[in-house]
Amino acid sequence: MSESTLIMLQTRNLAAGYKLDGKDFPLFDNLNLNLNKGELVCFMGSNGIGKTTLIRTLVGLQKPLRGSTEIPSKDSVALVLTDKITSSIMTVYDLVSYGRYPYLNWNVQLSPYDHRLIEESIKRVHLEPLAQKRISELSDGQLQMAMLAKALAQDTAILFLDEPTAHLDLNNRVEIMNLLRTLCRTEGKTVLVATHELDLALQTADRIWLATNERKILEGIPEDLVLDGTFDEVFRFKGFDLKSGKVSQEPYRKKALQLEGQGHEYLWTKNALERTGYEINAASAIKIKVTHKDKAITWNLSNENTEINFTNLSGLLDSLAKD
Amino acid sequence: MKQVSYGKGWILLITLLVGLLIANISIGSVQIPLSKLFLSLYTDQPLFSDILWHFRIPKALTCLLAGSALATAGLLMQTLFRNPMAGPDVLGLTSGASLLVALVILLGQFSTIFKGVLFHNSWSVALAASLGGGLVFILIISIAKYVKDNAALLIIGLMISAATSSLVSVMQYTSKADDLQAFLIWTLGSMGNTNWTEISVLAIVVALGLGISYGSVKSLNSWLLGENYARSLNINMGRSRLWIVVATGLLTGSVTAFCGPIAFVGLAVPHLVRLIIPVTNHKILMPAVMMGGSILLLFCDLVAQLPGSTQILPLNAITSLIGAPVVIWMVIKSKRISV
Repeated sequence: MSESTLIMLQTRNLAAGYKLDGKDFPLFDNLNLNLNKGELVCFMGSNGIGKTTLIRTLVGLQKPLRGSTEIPSKDSVALVLTDKITSSIMTVYDLVSYGRYPYLNWNVQLSPYDHRLIEESIKRVHLEPLAQKRISELSDGQLQMAMLAKALAQDTAILFLDEPTAHLDLNNRVEIMNLLRTLCRTEGKTVLVATHELDLALQTADRIWLATNERKILEGIPEDLVLDGTFDEVFRFKGFDLKSGKVSQEPYRKKALQLEGQGHEYLWTKNALERTGYEINAASAIKIKVTHKDKAITWNLSNENTEINFTNLSGLLDSLAKD
Repeated sequence: MKQVSYGKGWILLITLLVGLLIANISIGSVQIPLSKLFLSLYTDQPLFSDILWHFRIPKALTCLLAGSALATAGLLMQTLFRNPMAGPDVLGLTSGASLLVALVILLGQFSTIFKGVLFHNSWSVALAASLGGGLVFILIISIAKYVKDNAALLIIGLMISAATSSLVSVMQYTSKADDLQAFLIWTLGSMGNTNWTEISVLAIVVALGLGISYGSVKSLNSWLLGENYARSLNINMGRSRLWIVVATGLLTGSVTAFCGPIAFVGLAVPHLVRLIIPVTNHKILMPAVMMGGSILLLFCDLVAQLPGSTQILPLNAITSLIGAPVVIWMVIKSKRISV
């Protein structure tokens, strides 16, 4: 850890969980974690392992069973939770203005500065055209963006988000993660995201917190955790090879092919062949050669006596299947 | 990105309020023409002046106070429970009031002392209602300290209502016809039974309740996001819930004491007002709801007078008859209903 690293949040022997009939049921125990300034940390773990409980405990919505969490002040964390907002006539602007509530007195009079921050936050998530729309008229992705804008308007050093990308399409997921990363880089915000999006987390997080079944949290940079097998151990992937980043394929056709080519067209041809159950093997007598010329891709299928050209992959696959 | 101000909605509300107030004062079994209305207030026209100062104006003022109190209480409950079907009676206050009023009126027959002291005193019913509402209220507040979940509080309120209602049924079953009629008349609600002293008491309590409500706009707004978000915005939820319950108790209890258990206003008005002024900010919504409540009660009272006749219909029948179709129409039109 470099000397310039500033710790924003630190837990000391923290145990988080719930009480039932006076008995403690810790979901996590003896946690000594920290979050540094300007860092994007993805918090991963299986369903039901207690990610939400830990987040609630870290921000003080729930009492820790033991230990403590140190944050600069109670007002320094903004939240995006999975709680549904039931009001259907609330506008995006009103929703975002809640971010300013910690700074307002009982009279909720927004100052020009508050209005400016609210508008800036709405702009950051690209919802300006929808500012006066009701939140019931928004898509899931837009609503999530509005919740994020609320957290931004709160203008805190730390942001906690509980599954902000659940139910969103790839575009929205990437957009949210990119925005969070920008906030860390340019404004030095500290962001903790609980998420199931393994691929996105691996590509955007500065660090990963990985919840294990032993009530511990392993931490490290994404690549280290992939290479030392920590991810495999925790998630016990079924049919997914994390190191290649691919679903493992069974070459059920018992047929090997030789593939020659370059770049994207090579990769996607390989994907198509493996997906449909062929084995790629340089020793095979059947050879497929992919060539790319003037934006046209040609697949050349050859064995000892014949040679056929295809202009698309489905033609090639059909022909292979007939043999 | 500037916010809409709903000027048209406000003009509509103010026009309706002023118009109905004047109509309520001038229309009745004795018609007072508009031209003579203001003159009669201050000049010596014995008949009109008497009617105005002793009947019409107290009644109109009671409508104003009771309407705004009940509608605000409904808004508070809908926001606190985040449930569009909540009304001022969900906490069981009205049923508590009914229980004690039933005790006084229906069991009065067993005791001549009760009958002499209480039943022939115009304050007796009001006192009984306040006491009943107050007892349930203390019960609810002490339960609220242990039960942190709003939905659970809602269910407990409904259960208290159910229990007290059945006690009232038992008493009705065993009571004399005369007493039963007196009790039934109380349950039908009325705006016209208040004298100036009672109005002053009502006004003070309602003003207190409305003051507490308006002082809670920040926490009320925050309740709309749910407890977790609200607490993350540094709102002290326990304290704010207590204040909201106190305000609801004062508003509902005082109106029930003086006017009987008025149905429907608390449930319907917040929804109707949100149709005209669709905001979630209680700082704007609450004054509009107060006006809306007054408007609805003034209107229902006007209809109950059956213009042009000396007959008076039961107020509760009118509030439900007018309110129910309007809310059904509103739900069908907007396809959804929420707080």
